[in-house]
Amino acid sequence: MTTTEHEPAVEITGVTKVFNPGRPDRVTALTGVDLTVRRGEFVSLIGPSGCGKSTLLRLVADLIPVSEGTVRVAGKPARTARLDREYGIAFQQAGLFEWRTVQRNVELPLELRGTGRRERRVRAREMLELVGLADFAGHYPAQLSGGMQQRVAIARALAVHPPLLLMDEPFGALDEMTRERLQDELLRVCARTGTSTIFVTHSIPEAVYLSDRVVVMSARPGRITAEIDIELAQRNETTRQTAEFFAGITRVRQALRGGPAAQRPDEAGPVGEAEPADPAVSR
Amino acid sequence: MTTAGRLRRALRGVGPPLLVGVGGLVAWELTVTLGRVAPFLLPAPSAIGTELVDNRAVIWQVGLASGANALVGLVAGAVLAILAAMVASRFDFLGEVAVPVAAALNALPIIALAPILNNMFESTSSIPRRSVVAIVVFFPVFLNTLRGLREIDPVHRELMTSYAATGWTFTRLVRLPGALPFVFTGLRQASSLAVIAAVVAEYFGGRQDGLGSRITSAASYTAYPRAWAFVVGACVLGLVFYLAALGLERLTMPWRARRSG
Repeated sequence: MTTTEHEPAVEITGVTKVFNPGRPDRVTALTGVDLTVRRGEFVSLIGPSGCGKSTLLRLVADLIPVSEGTVRVAGKPARTARLDREYGIAFQQAGLFEWRTVQRNVELPLELRGTGRRERRVRAREMLELVGLADFAGHYPAQLSGGMQQRVAIARALAVHPPLLLMDEPFGALDEMTRERLQDELLRVCARTGTSTIFVTHSIPEAVYLSDRVVVMSARPGRITAEIDIELAQRNETTRQTAEFFAGITRVRQALRGGPAAQRPDEAGPVGEAEPADPAVSR
Repeated sequence: MTTAGRLRRALRGVGPPLLVGVGGLVAWELTVTLGRVAPFLLPAPSAIGTELVDNRAVIWQVGLASGANALVGLVAGAVLAILAAMVASRFDFLGEVAVPVAAALNALPIIALAPILNNMFESTSSIPRRSVVAIVVFFPVFLNTLRGLREIDPVHRELMTSYAATGWTFTRLVRLPGALPFVFTGLRQASSLAVIAAVVAEYFGGRQDGLGSRITSAASYTAYPRAWAFVVGACVLGLVFYLAALGLERLTMPWRARRSG
């Protein structure tokens, strides 16, 4: 691989994205976005609908082209990185191939990289064990629940051991219990493999729990309005009850409302504030 | 599931339609015999049954001939239709043009082509009947397959882009398997149409060794119960084709059959 260890995982410089340029339905989705994700760092993108966080993720994945600016992944242009298969990706919909068994779904990206049959099998097996679905390797996706399908999709994204993981609200459609368990699983995997992650979410607690840094965005036009470093001593079940966790939530919420943190001390961290979704976010 | 449980479930599925069928036959028999309906209007099921048994060797033989015609035409028409749909789906323009044209052609009474095709070939040739079948089969398979090939889950599309998979790889891994349910919907419709076309094409001349010719000749001799016996033969043949298509669908797409597990 041609990547150097010193390059950041992702480097976004002066990026603007305009959909339908020169037409009446022209939309400026993002303007002047700068963002750097260090190696091994977990960064969440959060903001109201239409703030362009999914668009930003797709620009990094080179699923859509930038209008202005540059996106570099692992030190290369985004397109080269995509063709070199430098990242794994998971979406809100699991997007499993219903005609493949769970095992063969996880094997697909490996198959496309020309990995040998035996190694494919071993790696897929290993990833399914990681997400706790080893017993379902021979099942078809339609036989699994939504949460299980999503775990398969995550196993599939991780199977190639990508240096970068891109996730677009992967837990958005799941119930709160499953969601929290998968968050823990994801953290464990990322810690073990040293994967850098960009994680799009609507949920403030989720962003705070998972991230080293939460990037707050706002809409019309989409831009980054704040970057909040999260320092939690540890991340496990008890973390969700700690004062530092609630403090993180409060900081992100205040950033989302656009006010500087110091202006709203009255909102600092009572337990009742830790609701999953802020109305200001879902609006 | 236990064997007993499976049997019970099968019975529950088969029982009611069987009951309605038998009840219908009894009502039919009673209406004809008690109501003194003229046999040329409607023969009694018992009369048809007798003819079925008496002519079983002939029915089997002409049924095989019609079955072969239907099968050859079905396979040829379906293969052509699937290939044509693959080509049309690769080029947006072709796909857009193809659908209305195919729909318009489909509205033609294709069976009406039979006399024309019959005159194109020798009277001993089986090609005209098989061509009619192939043409009839082509449209449902083509239209359904094309729809299936064009309907791609946007998540699948983005995933394959992220894997840098394009062209034939994309077609092989996503388009074709994704289109299979649609192809089989087309094939199921086409399987019954194929038998109808193979039988009816013989009404318009050409080689006379299938079910169609026997129905017309029995009817022209006013042997109505015998004509009906051949109609029953055609009915069974159509059912066999339909069930074969259904079985093939189950075999080819095990992920659908096992959904409930």
